[in-house]
Amino acid sequence: MIIPEENESQDFVKVDFSTSVKTIIEYSENGYGFRTIRVKSKEPFDKISFEARIRLVKKAADPFKSINLIEDPAISYSEIQTLLFRIEHDSFLRTTDLTFLPSKYATLFTFDKEKSIFENLQALNQFIFNYVSFKPNMTDVNSTVAEFIEKKQGVCQDMVHLFCALARHNGIPTRYVSGFLHQGNGYFGDSQMHAWSEAFIPNAGWIAFDPTNNILANNDHIKVAHGKDYSDCAPLKGVINGPGTNKTQYTVQVESQQQ
Amino acid sequence: MGKIQNQIFSSYQRNPILYDEIFDKQGTIKEVYSRLFELYGGHTIKEYVKLNEKAKSSFFNQGITFQVYNEKETMEKIFPFDLFPRIIDQEEWDIIERGAVQRSRALNLFLWDIYHDKKIIKQGIVPLELISSSENYLDQMVGLDPPGGIYNHISGTDIIKHNDGKYYVLEDNIRCPSGVSYVICNRTALKRALFGVFNHYKTHAVTNYAENLLDLLETVKPQGVDLPNVVVLTPGMYNSAFYEHSYLAKTMGVELVEGRDLFVENDFVYMRTIRGPEKVDIIYRRVDDGFIDPLEFRADSALGVPGLFAAYKKGNVTLANAPGTGVADDKAIYTYMPEIIKYYLDEEPILNNVHTYHCSRPDELQYVLEHIPELVIKPVDEAGGYGISIGNRLSKSEIEEVKSQLKSSPRKYVAQPIMSLSVHPTYIDETESFEQRHVDLRTFTVLGQDRDFVLKGGLTRVALKRGNLIVNSSQGGGSKDTWVLKK
Amino acid sequence: MLARVANNLFWMGRYIERSEHVARYLNVNYFSSLDAPHQLSQSRQFVLRSMLYMVGLSDGDESEELDEAKVLYKIGMDPQSEFSILNNVKYARENANSARDLISTELYEAINKFYHFVFNYDSNIYMKNGLHDFTTNITEMSAILRGKMRGTLLHDEIYAIIMMGVNIERATQITRIINAKHHDALKAQGSYGDKFSNSYEWTTLLKCAESYDMMRRFYKKTPNSISTLEFLILNPNCPRSVMNSLNQVYKHIRLLDPSKRYNKNSTAFLVGRVRAEYQYKYIREIEEDIQYFIKSILDSLSEISEKMENEFFNY
Repeated sequence: MIIPEENESQDFVKVDFSTSVKTIIEYSENGYGFRTIRVKSKEPFDKISFEARIRLVKKAADPFKSINLIEDPAISYSEIQTLLFRIEHDSFLRTTDLTFLPSKYATLFTFDKEKSIFENLQALNQFIFNYVSFKPNMTDVNSTVAEFIEKKQGVCQDMVHLFCALARHNGIPTRYVSGFLHQGNGYFGDSQMHAWSEAFIPNAGWIAFDPTNNILANNDHIKVAHGKDYSDCAPLKGVINGPGTNKTQYTVQVESQQQ
Repeated sequence: MGKIQNQIFSSYQRNPILYDEIFDKQGTIKEVYSRLFELYGGHTIKEYVKLNEKAKSSFFNQGITFQVYNEKETMEKIFPFDLFPRIIDQEEWDIIERGAVQRSRALNLFLWDIYHDKKIIKQGIVPLELISSSENYLDQMVGLDPPGGIYNHISGTDIIKHNDGKYYVLEDNIRCPSGVSYVICNRTALKRALFGVFNHYKTHAVTNYAENLLDLLETVKPQGVDLPNVVVLTPGMYNSAFYEHSYLAKTMGVELVEGRDLFVENDFVYMRTIRGPEKVDIIYRRVDDGFIDPLEFRADSALGVPGLFAAYKKGNVTLANAPGTGVADDKAIYTYMPEIIKYYLDEEPILNNVHTYHCSRPDELQYVLEHIPELVIKPVDEAGGYGISIGNRLSKSEIEEVKSQLKSSPRKYVAQPIMSLSVHPTYIDETESFEQRHVDLRTFTVLGQDRDFVLKGGLTRVALKRGNLIVNSSQGGGSKDTWVLKK
Repeated sequence: MLARVANNLFWMGRYIERSEHVARYLNVNYFSSLDAPHQLSQSRQFVLRSMLYMVGLSDGDESEELDEAKVLYKIGMDPQSEFSILNNVKYARENANSARDLISTELYEAINKFYHFVFNYDSNIYMKNGLHDFTTNITEMSAILRGKMRGTLLHDEIYAIIMMGVNIERATQITRIINAKHHDALKAQGSYGDKFSNSYEWTTLLKCAESYDMMRRFYKKTPNSISTLEFLILNPNCPRSVMNSLNQVYKHIRLLDPSKRYNKNSTAFLVGRVRAEYQYKYIREIEEDIQYFIKSILDSLSEISEKMENEFFNY
């Protein structure tokens, strides 16, 4: 399991982790540098359950504040073309199996070079929100961008993959973010697990867009990890040794407390 | 010089266009082979057939086999082995050895660079696309310092001799190159069948590979470990290279483990022994990147060890070769090897690369268009040999077709001169005689911290089908014992 | 040593030993029946049933006519039959394969040759007239393997594990052979005195354990039930006896677990207990209820095997 990361907008306080079966609980780090909890059972088991209680402090941060509002489109667009920029952000400019954009859809959303990158990304956020609709069980974790475009229905994961595909196609480094969403504000999104994206804007840094809700990510978004696509940052992963089938089930609850 | 009465070579046919390893252009036996030629000439064909059978059964009895499956049963097969050895004299070997080390060192520095500062890309020597389009580039390796700074501990370099008599490198294999055990088995089989011939040559031993491998692996042990515990990680006994894995473990005197024998606790790796867990420090893994850790890479891998990458990242275990080395043996990188060697070592390449013309460069495109019959035209993003045009096999109209393709999308293509692999007399079962067959050579280089080792010998692979250039064992290739002579 | 590999070596030892005993049982029974004094002992049907009984296959309905070629094939070379010599050799080699880095090249090559011999043997020839040649080769090749184990392996833990397997299996197979021949002796009784005790089958039994000559040397009289059983079960100097096997098992478990501490849950403790029980037994006690002996020794042996698995192979 990946523990939510610590960043500008969230401070990690503590995690309590417990399991139903006697296990070894280890704190470690995955290949992308996110902190993880690893659990390994020494004994065979039929059933195992885990519970993690994580406490975080969200800091009110105005995402607009960091953006240089007088972003000069011409400078920004030429910067993202430079070799150094492309090398620096190479991994989040690359296309992956899950974010592959077939060429026939390359013009699905085009950037208006007169406007700033930020404005274009906001437009993209809105475009996806309008273009497809949120509907669970239409797609699965392995669904591609092409399938999603054809069905026009899916969940946050699909919307984020589409966001990443289109933004990267326009030269903007974009990453997939997995996390939790504090429900109760009328948001769309799986109540268990949410996803949004972060795009890199020169001179401003990483800005989080939630295309499922057509908003910028805010205090209700608890970030766990990011990656090139979902497969880099699935918050839970497991390996089962043994014959037969297995079933997993999980629930997430987000509660807020005023400090 | 009088012609040697040599009955087993009586029907040997020399194609003058090909570079023969043992006869010169006039058909005279080369100096270094003359004694061997005489010795083999002392045998009748019948005796030779018997010896050949003996060598085959030596492989069967040693259990050096691979399995072929069909619906009914599993069959065991041996890799075809040729009793007539290849000889490389000290002078030539010296070039090969220095060249192989040079390439391995350069590739190692290249790997360090592309997983750290990416200077070579920033300076525009190697295009960014080469890295970002490679499936073998692992983001997880970015910024990670492998113990001792070594990525490609073990490299297998595939070298051929062209008809100009010079050696060229065809490929650098730095994932999990295999074949070294056959070098040693070939020697054993040849000794068993024809021990007498060894009295007449001073040949370097090949059995010291394992001890050197172990020594060099121990130089890249994790920090804080005094006496490192080394293991060989195998996918299991059904893997076609299992014999090699067990051979290496045995000769190094270390445990041969499967993924299920290992586990990770607090980011340290342990193996399950009859006395409980025992810590493991260095893993010579013969399992591909995607399968080493199901938590980090392919989740469906039953061959790996959950948490292994986390332990590696912490610096608690050494993996040889390092994950992510595959990016540097992509075919596209190969074409930049001369530049890579110059950039990192400030040296001229010792071994030739097959020259590559990038059609994206106008002057090179012009050359290619003018010389198509002498060239092989390959798509840049080739996979599995598709879309390759061999210039001297094209009709006039086909040449025109290729030309128009090149002109319309030059970026998509590279071109290389048609290489002609040298030939070596090889005993052919069906005709019970020696015939010319194409050969290559795979050398094995081991890099350690400030030390390296090249096995004095190597795997000479033979394309057993007449005229065939493909020497891979999966394509019906055989092999020969390879003698590197002492001074 | 890796737990998994230790397990493989243990079973390699067991399968090698098993194939040898089955082969010898076929050989001795078949060929001594040809000129046996008792008519029933001479009957081909009787011998075939005895073979099936020994390997644990049903010996079928008495009235049913067994086909010699089929029975021989099933026990010797049938790839579908779990008990066949062919499969035992195959398993032995598979186990050796995965432990190949730990055993000597000499031992591995011998096992491998063994395997190729069995697999390349023409099953038609075997069923027609190759039984003697096939089974003799198997017993000889296993003797070579025993020599290679003793002569080329380091006498360390690895060796101890293999020897545990070999000796547990030997005791098991000897017991099974005793069981089968006892079963036969009840049917094919002798012609004078205590007919059961003087059955010719006791001689066959000793030959099945390659112990006939030495038994004659030791007792200097014709084997009867008591002397035969005493020799094969309790005589610690008879290399094939149950007692000798238990002594070997004890010696090798001590190598694996040299601890002097009292630990009633250890394999070593259990081996010691079983060994002590037979060390101080009278043969009359055993002969009185031979079925009880057979059951309890087989149970003890499988309990030892299971305990080993838990203690050493299960990390």
